[in-house]
Amino acid sequence: MENLIVDFMWMQLLVNSLALGSFYALIALGFALIFGVTRTFNLAHGELILLGGYISYFLFKGEGIHILWTLPPSMLALLGAALVLHAILRRVREPYELNTLVVTFGLALVLQNAMLVIFTADYRLIGHGRQFFLESLDAYVSDTQITVFLTSLLATLSVHFLMRKTFLGKALRATIQDREAARLAGIHVDHMTLIAFGTGGALIGLAGPLYAQTTYLHPFGGSEPTLLAIIVSIFAGVGRTRGLLLGGWLLGTIESATVFFLGGSWREVVSAMILIGLLLLRPEGLWSERSKPGREA
Amino acid sequence: MLWPLFVPGGDLYCRVLGWSFFFAALALAWNILALTGSISIGHTAFFGLGAYTSALMSHYTHLSPFICVILGGASGMVYGALWHFVFKPLRGARFALATLASVEIPRVIVDNWEGLTFGSLGLVGIEAFPGVQPGGMDLSPGESLKSQYYLLLFMMASYLLIHHRAVRSRWGWAMRAVREDETAAGSIGVPVHRIRFCAVTFSAVLTGICGAVYSHLMGLIEPSLVFSLHLSAMPLVLSIFGGRYQIAGPVLGSLILYPLDQLFFHAWFPSAHAALYGLVIVLTLIHFPSGIGTWLQKKLT
Repeated sequence: MENLIVDFMWMQLLVNSLALGSFYALIALGFALIFGVTRTFNLAHGELILLGGYISYFLFKGEGIHILWTLPPSMLALLGAALVLHAILRRVREPYELNTLVVTFGLALVLQNAMLVIFTADYRLIGHGRQFFLESLDAYVSDTQITVFLTSLLATLSVHFLMRKTFLGKALRATIQDREAARLAGIHVDHMTLIAFGTGGALIGLAGPLYAQTTYLHPFGGSEPTLLAIIVSIFAGVGRTRGLLLGGWLLGTIESATVFFLGGSWREVVSAMILIGLLLLRPEGLWSERSKPGREA
Repeated sequence: MLWPLFVPGGDLYCRVLGWSFFFAALALAWNILALTGSISIGHTAFFGLGAYTSALMSHYTHLSPFICVILGGASGMVYGALWHFVFKPLRGARFALATLASVEIPRVIVDNWEGLTFGSLGLVGIEAFPGVQPGGMDLSPGESLKSQYYLLLFMMASYLLIHHRAVRSRWGWAMRAVREDETAAGSIGVPVHRIRFCAVTFSAVLTGICGAVYSHLMGLIEPSLVFSLHLSAMPLVLSIFGGRYQIAGPVLGSLILYPLDQLFFHAWFPSAHAALYGLVIVLTLIHFPSGIGTWLQKKLT
């Protein structure tokens, strides 16, 4: 009997980790694409996800639109927002990486305060949906978890397909590897930047509504998804889409285990330490293979 | 600078100007690290540690607030030294990210160690600074705004002096050499690691002291207040806006922006006035990345 209960908990932990991990991969997808192609450290990433979440929340609660139908407007709106972001960041000077970090940090502050005025400081949640017991998995699963898992898988595989199997993807990957060489080969690097921002924005718009179903929305809650996106992106390495899924699942497992064994309040410390550890131990995660110093020879 | 002596009333201006001195001091402290080229977006870690160390020491041991403030600075220094040793290989954007992440660790510990720190409820009734009588004047920062004004003015002036020394000394030249090219600086005999270590710990001590002073002036602190993104952003915005390559740049930034925020933006957008700082940093980096001080200087000459 005791054994049964233990088995049950492990399965539940696994299901939760997998769902949470897929959610993290989805959050990271937009960040990884924009960062990979354009070298932009977007610290306002989390705020943009919240924006998508709020759009979906108000369409859902106010207009009574089905949650899946709030995805297209959210994606469209965030695509627009990402293009605005691009228009601002285009004018940032060298050193580009550090300066975009500081500029988007400022934009995050602006967005936080704007959302505070527009959406007020109330905590909002779309809701977890139904929860039911799956005999085959021996664990409880919710509607949202299934939606998140499927959306994340679908989105990641689509981006992977786009990057690996299409001509556009080839051009994008060339831009990731070496901007100058790509330009010399006749690739419109500026178009690639625009496409990366647009697609990344749409992916952020896809993550937003699902964020609102999983976590409470609050105007100042954006720094957590930003950090999570950065962690998963560094873990995966630039330009490796499937790695995002793996990184998300791994992070999801670590966080679920932390919540399970230590309690929910320590989760943020664990993710902060993972980020610092990754920055120290996996610096190559931020650079593509070509441009890594010492590899050219 | 001494006008509160003569102008009767004017409490609002006295407070706003006093706190703009405080944020100028914070920005000067931040800039000492920035002189080596490292942009930090996690200075609130030092601020919060300083505030909590000082407030808790005062709460449990009833030592004089002046001693507690120094202990607060020391706690900032310890964390700063830790930054140096752990973040040694990190530069630029990666260093900035690591500093952002490092705020979470003290914040969550303070938040959860309820037995010691009273958790997210925060600490109230922190002892105010006792009165002092320099040169026959009776100043008690706990009670009168004017005394608070002079305390903060004194604080900013001493930070400005330190910053001036930091920029003008051999150490300052070494820091700038490190900022421009670390390898080249090392090859001409600049002890790169020692310079970086001094910069980060110095900056951390001064920020910790700011946090400690804040806790005794406000009388209450809570984790979300002293470990906030806003407090990390303030020195960065004020310094970069004012001009981080100049001795008085951070002060200029603070004296322009903080009153603008408090006297105008606060009245127009009471709940979202902090957006001003975000907006300013975006515009600064795009239009005059070396700060308004340098920009003005170019215009005038």
